[in-house]
Amino acid sequence: MALRDDFPILKREVNGFPLIYLDNAATTQKPQVVLDAMNDYYTSSNANVHRAVHTLAGEATEGYEACRQRLKNWFNAERAILTSGTTEAINLVAHAWGRANLAEGDVIVLTEMEHHSDIVPWQMLSEERKVELRYVPVLEDFTLDMDVYAASLEGAKLVCVVHTSNVLGVRNPLEEIIELAHSNGALVLIDAAQGVPHEQIDFIESKADFMAFSAHKMCGPTGIGALLVDAEVFETMQPFMGGGDMIETVTITGSTYQTNEHKFEAGTPRIAEAIGWCAAFDWMSNLDLEKEHERLIAIARWVAEQLRAMDIPVYGRHGEKDSAVVSFLHPSIHSEDLAHLLDSRGFAVRTGHHCAQPLLHRLGINGTVRASFYLYNTMEEAEHFVAQLKEITERFG
Amino acid sequence: MTYPDALSELIEEFQEVDDKMERLEMVFDMADEVIPFPLEQWTQESKVQGCQSEAHVHVELQDGKVLLLSGADAKLVQGLMGILTLAINGSAPAQALLLSPDFAEEMGVLNSLSPSRSNGFRNMFDKVMAEIRNFV
Repeated sequence: MALRDDFPILKREVNGFPLIYLDNAATTQKPQVVLDAMNDYYTSSNANVHRAVHTLAGEATEGYEACRQRLKNWFNAERAILTSGTTEAINLVAHAWGRANLAEGDVIVLTEMEHHSDIVPWQMLSEERKVELRYVPVLEDFTLDMDVYAASLEGAKLVCVVHTSNVLGVRNPLEEIIELAHSNGALVLIDAAQGVPHEQIDFIESKADFMAFSAHKMCGPTGIGALLVDAEVFETMQPFMGGGDMIETVTITGSTYQTNEHKFEAGTPRIAEAIGWCAAFDWMSNLDLEKEHERLIAIARWVAEQLRAMDIPVYGRHGEKDSAVVSFLHPSIHSEDLAHLLDSRGFAVRTGHHCAQPLLHRLGINGTVRASFYLYNTMEEAEHFVAQLKEITERFG
Repeated sequence: MTYPDALSELIEEFQEVDDKMERLEMVFDMADEVIPFPLEQWTQESKVQGCQSEAHVHVELQDGKVLLLSGADAKLVQGLMGILTLAINGSAPAQALLLSPDFAEEMGVLNSLSPSRSNGFRNMFDKVMAEIRNFV
């Protein structure tokens, strides 16, 4: 597979075995062009953005703002705020929109499928503003209970829903969710951390009001992400983090703020990361994401079938639009032990609650082992993985 | 770091084995050294917090010497509990407190000793040491 050559890390060994990296839902690996772009910035153009007039500052500003433009083009969005990642993007909505627009008695609808980063900020806001939180349950087939969802919308001002579950890989029916929310007067925030790596999303066409995601789950650097915001909703947000770069004027009696995205990007931003993310978009634009996704979901489906044949429960359905995540619970080997054993043979997988404890509680389990596949993973790696699981089961199960 | 003789010998034994899976299997076998802490006595207080596996420890003094009782659902944590038992049981508290957690890394079974939610051993080690400190 030619594109594997773009990822230097895939050439390394772990514990004497070739690395087989299956922890992509946690973070993906970076192609050489991303590493080069960040290195080039620090080597040749390092300066702070927006203020100074010297050449380096101009280059840094160009690089940083090019990332914003790339985001707008890639996702078809009018407003793109750069954040530290999905978590900060969601917290930004809670502070910048929530505090300005929610009052006691208002309702926010969440789901049991949410990552903690789309639960905890709302719990904090709920405590502060006496806002009611309602949770949509997850059914036995790993989908949301849409009847309860529809019934939950009365009085709702905001719906927060995960695009694709990081545990189950299930892609939610966002089109229906957004339409129902809007017809009840509620805005919609999509946590798309696991969605954007697998699906080309048109933000304006989706009609979502907010969409949060991270660079590092789509071959970009860690430490940077974005919040896309509907242009009208953007005007209803108030800045919550004060500092340099977000102001127009500051006097000792008060300040005025910028009117564009800079209003929400106080302080020196993540310049190298933005430049690296831009390079990741360039790299990904050479791929047919839809075709790659078809290949990956077929691999995940095959792995899930193999595990079920070994009487290993798998949590997920692996439909066409779902992500290539296989969460499972070995019946006789503890997840933590299994992860260590797999690591001893070069496999990187994730174990634990995956920051989604309410979902695991609903499933009646404490954690799973999660193998997640991305662009550089091959069917051959999947076959090795299943073969290794069989060997470990025979020896330790 | 100087370890008690039994632990030093064990570290050497581990270091002679190249294959990490084999080393993990050796740790699993060390679960036999654990002095069981009965399930019915497991409480929130005895629980090792932030550990992926369900792990409980209880330390008491017997004739002025440390006695570690423990239990966990993950075999690796049980094995590391067994090694810790071998290292500190029967020692005076002040002596037991000299032990560093580095032995797990030196044995080549753990990749990191940083406290984190994925590091059951480190969390367990710190809790055991905190309990021993209460006796000093």
